[in-house]
Amino acid sequence: MKRQIPLALCFLFGVVMIFTQFSPHPVSKSIYERVISGALIIGPFALVLATITLIQTHINRIQRRTEHWGYSFVVFAGLITMVAIGVPFGPENPVFVWLYTNVQVPMDATMFSLLAFFIASAAYRAFRARSTEATLLLVTALIVMLGNVPVGDLIWNTILSWTGFENQASAARGWILDNPNLSARRGIILGVSLGVISQSIRIILGIERSYLGGGD
Amino acid sequence: MQLLGIWVAAFLTLCIYSFLYKDNPLYRFAEHLFVGISVGYGIVLSIHQGFLPLAWKPFWEAITFQDTSGFWVIIPIAFGLLFFARLSPRHTWLIRYPIAILIGYGSGIAIPNVLRANIFEQTRGTLEPFGKIARETVAANGNIIPPLTPFEIVGAILMVIGVVCTLTYFFFSVEHRGPIKGLSKVGIAFLMIGFGSAFGNTVMGRVALLIQRMDFLMFDWIASIGTIFSSIF
Repeated sequence: MKRQIPLALCFLFGVVMIFTQFSPHPVSKSIYERVISGALIIGPFALVLATITLIQTHINRIQRRTEHWGYSFVVFAGLITMVAIGVPFGPENPVFVWLYTNVQVPMDATMFSLLAFFIASAAYRAFRARSTEATLLLVTALIVMLGNVPVGDLIWNTILSWTGFENQASAARGWILDNPNLSARRGIILGVSLGVISQSIRIILGIERSYLGGGD
Repeated sequence: MQLLGIWVAAFLTLCIYSFLYKDNPLYRFAEHLFVGISVGYGIVLSIHQGFLPLAWKPFWEAITFQDTSGFWVIIPIAFGLLFFARLSPRHTWLIRYPIAILIGYGSGIAIPNVLRANIFEQTRGTLEPFGKIARETVAANGNIIPPLTPFEIVGAILMVIGVVCTLTYFFFSVEHRGPIKGLSKVGIAFLMIGFGSAFGNTVMGRVALLIQRMDFLMFDWIASIGTIFSSIF
């Protein structure tokens, strides 16, 4: 009951989703759409549970007075403000949109832009051309970076204008992205896809059961 | 309100950039606020774009007998509520039911889609250029595509070599010795070019964001200081 029924449900929903995609019959299509709607209904409950877990974690931090516990109130302030405005008045509410535009979006962009500084120090360590492979990585990254910005073509046109070719930095970047880069990506995608399919079959057939967790 | 928005955004931007000096209370304040705001935003969107139109509206219409076809949503709602069994140690095992449904659904939907989009389409994309080597082809919009140039033919051959060698590198069912080792070494070279490209693009993406934030601070925020001064004096 505790393990067999979940395994049976997993098998049933997996098989239904596979077969309904191959059948154009209206009943099959209707089942397919119902299951998708059902999964979309179940999903938000998981988000609510995740939020409850986040709240519990921060309540624990406050109760135990762990390091930086005071900032947990800031998490609650942000969370409660967004939920208190957004849930009753909807995401189109001007105050909710204002908070999204002037608080969330700038912080999101700044957090990601912060990585520009750390990626520079990571690049210094990664790009030391110690081997052929590291050199390939270094040269490719440099060409792609220079080809991405107008200054790349400017450098080419200034220094290598005697070759008779113009704007070859961006052209080289385009060729690398469309040929060797794409072939490596395709190899990875094909490998990952085969892995996804085999793992999905294992899950549907009940061979892979780690998602059930421990216990009886 | 717009001016206040610029100042709030500038303050939070500077709070986050203060981390470049060292970890400090201003950064921690912005970091925790970001977590709270983002989670709140996610909850609001999932309620208004997921739960209310897909579950609550049909459920309400069904129990008020406006449209009884919506009664079926009780089943997914009941399974969704089982997620909260996690909060009771005695009944925590009930959470396996909704998880099993979502995992089974995800696995079932993945198999045909991954086959179609990632295996058939990628293989087609790799081999398709060879059909255009010696003859003109007609595009979907009716345009005539000329045969491949020698440069493009080299690219198409390189593509096949790259895909085969990269796959060989990840093929662990045979020992990498002899010709397999050679192919896998070529695969590593292609992978390094792929990682280098990804790294270069990531760096440029992050730098573009940095430029955008600097642009905001230097032009929007500093310009707003001038607006405040001109309105006071």
